[in-house]
Amino acid sequence: MKKKQQVTGAQALVDSLAKAGTEVLFGYPGGAVLDIFNCLPDAPFQFVLGRHEQGSVHMADGYARATGKVGVCLVTSGPGATNTVTGLATANMDGVPLVCITGQVPMAQIGTDAFQEADTTGITRAVSKHNFLVHSADELPEIVAEAFYIATHGKPGPVVIDIPKNVQQAFTTATYPERVSLRAYHPESFATSAQMTRLAKLINEAERPVIYAGGGVIASGAAKDVAALAHRAQIPVATTLMGLGSFDERDPLALRLAGMHGSAAANYAINHTDLLIALGVRFSDRVTGKLAAYAKKAKIVHVDCDPASIGKNVRVSLGIVADVKDVLTTVSSRVKAADHSAWLAQIEAWKKQRPMAYKPMHPNVIMPQQVIEAIDKATKGEAVLVTDVGQHQMWAAQYFRHNRPRRFLTSGGMGTMGFGIPAAIGAAFGRPDRKVVAVCGDGGAQMTFEELVVAVEHKLPVTFVVVNNACLGMVRQWQELFYGKRYAGSILSVRGRLANERLEQDLKYDYLPDFVKLAQAHGADAVRVIDPAKLEGAIRKAVKSDRTTLVEVIVEPRANVYPMQPGGQPVEGMIFE
Amino acid sequence: MNCFVENKPGVLARIVGLFSGRGYNIQSLSVGPTEDGTVSRMKIDVLGDDRVIQQIILQLRNQVNVIEVTARRKGER
Repeated sequence: MKKKQQVTGAQALVDSLAKAGTEVLFGYPGGAVLDIFNCLPDAPFQFVLGRHEQGSVHMADGYARATGKVGVCLVTSGPGATNTVTGLATANMDGVPLVCITGQVPMAQIGTDAFQEADTTGITRAVSKHNFLVHSADELPEIVAEAFYIATHGKPGPVVIDIPKNVQQAFTTATYPERVSLRAYHPESFATSAQMTRLAKLINEAERPVIYAGGGVIASGAAKDVAALAHRAQIPVATTLMGLGSFDERDPLALRLAGMHGSAAANYAINHTDLLIALGVRFSDRVTGKLAAYAKKAKIVHVDCDPASIGKNVRVSLGIVADVKDVLTTVSSRVKAADHSAWLAQIEAWKKQRPMAYKPMHPNVIMPQQVIEAIDKATKGEAVLVTDVGQHQMWAAQYFRHNRPRRFLTSGGMGTMGFGIPAAIGAAFGRPDRKVVAVCGDGGAQMTFEELVVAVEHKLPVTFVVVNNACLGMVRQWQELFYGKRYAGSILSVRGRLANERLEQDLKYDYLPDFVKLAQAHGADAVRVIDPAKLEGAIRKAVKSDRTTLVEVIVEPRANVYPMQPGGQPVEGMIFE
Repeated sequence: MNCFVENKPGVLARIVGLFSGRGYNIQSLSVGPTEDGTVSRMKIDVLGDDRVIQQIILQLRNQVNVIEVTARRKGER
């Protein structure tokens, strides 16, 4: 028998990552991962150097959301690992499969307050699906295989592998396992035949059914099955923020976004439905509003792969722990074709009565909603749209015509400002065949702007659109509506700041930073748009460019996101202007 | 609550975190070996709202290292 070759733990890790299917590794080096970096020049996958560890995790996240593959990143110990926390929490909330490798000080130094030591498994426990501290190089291939398995099975999520430096340097003959078998983790579950019969019966008997589709539909690849069920039984479809793209919004059955900033038709339909078919959702507080009043006339069917999500926020008549696609494939043949014309006519009336709409506030000032419409028009429904977090994110949800899965990437659960720029870069690595457009506010763009150089140096033709209202718009909106218009901390221009910030009213620096100069300093093409008449042309030109381009659009700062169903309110509390 | 878990480092912290993260105080906790040395048994007494405890049980079962969870109210057999 041929003697197995000894390799270092670092080499075993790189070999295992390759075996697991890694195509792109995002990361940032440091002392505790130098042995791993030393193996990268010969690795069969591409390495992408970020500029901050948070950026690297968001890139891996954007890559994973755009492709459905596992995003992989590598950072050093201590500050490298702590900088990943926000990125991990973001992926954890939205069920994004990631494997994050962190360096650790040598085993013998753990617990001694060594240089760049942090209790990474302790810190990341609450923001990851699972984590490992590797004790021996012999365990490494198996742990990598398990990490990829855990990241992708059940509800997907981020998995951290913390590897002490001495483990990276030790020698091993261990090889990547053929199969993964975890003793205690068996997330695969299937609906029982009785549940399927009951589900079909409920659907066949419903007079005013609504499908409510979430990120789980996209994760399970069930968008086509949702459309088939909707068309067969003529059931209108509302989506969550994470579910946008799971149903084509150009379809007459589309109710579009539901929830706090959802369409009136979606929220009214959920309020009046007699059967809410919830697929791959978790009934977030941003969707339900006041729980006691939510879908109060409905029987609720909840299909989700996560047993802990069923019955968590709302009581359900039928809970099915299973993959959405499996359930729909089985149940569709038992669902009778239906008509529901009276119900659909009612929904059509709501759509006409309360369309998604805005009015210009000043003839010479661009409305932020126009920016989204211009992007939609210029990309003709073919782009991957990545957002940051805040008002622009909601307008992107409302005014973009979402039509296919994995084309709208957004930090839904965590609401992480700074997500947009790096996630768009990650998405561009995953989908080089697609135009990627990132839309950011001026607040979030400043949180991770340094990552723009990554797009420039890799010549990624990503279009970054900064919707600049010189304020933290969503915070400002809540202060306007619920906090007596006291704009504490939410204004980013010098004009309009609080007296106790003790700024001189020096209007020379009213809009800081200058995003055009900033983008140019990072090597990107950049242009500023102020005139409403020039908006569409500028966006079209940027989208057509094969270079990294940033468009700064100066928009109306007083614009608010409507409709709005304020937190904890019933649907009757929706405000429209 | 009775939890059968894989006997590995970090498992206890994971389980305790599900209680402490909700502000729940564990009244009593004992961990011991089973006949199978790779499996530990944890006995946890905790005061809490039924709905929240039910949620914790589901999340415990979701943990990668947790094999089985059973629970009963005080006084129940």
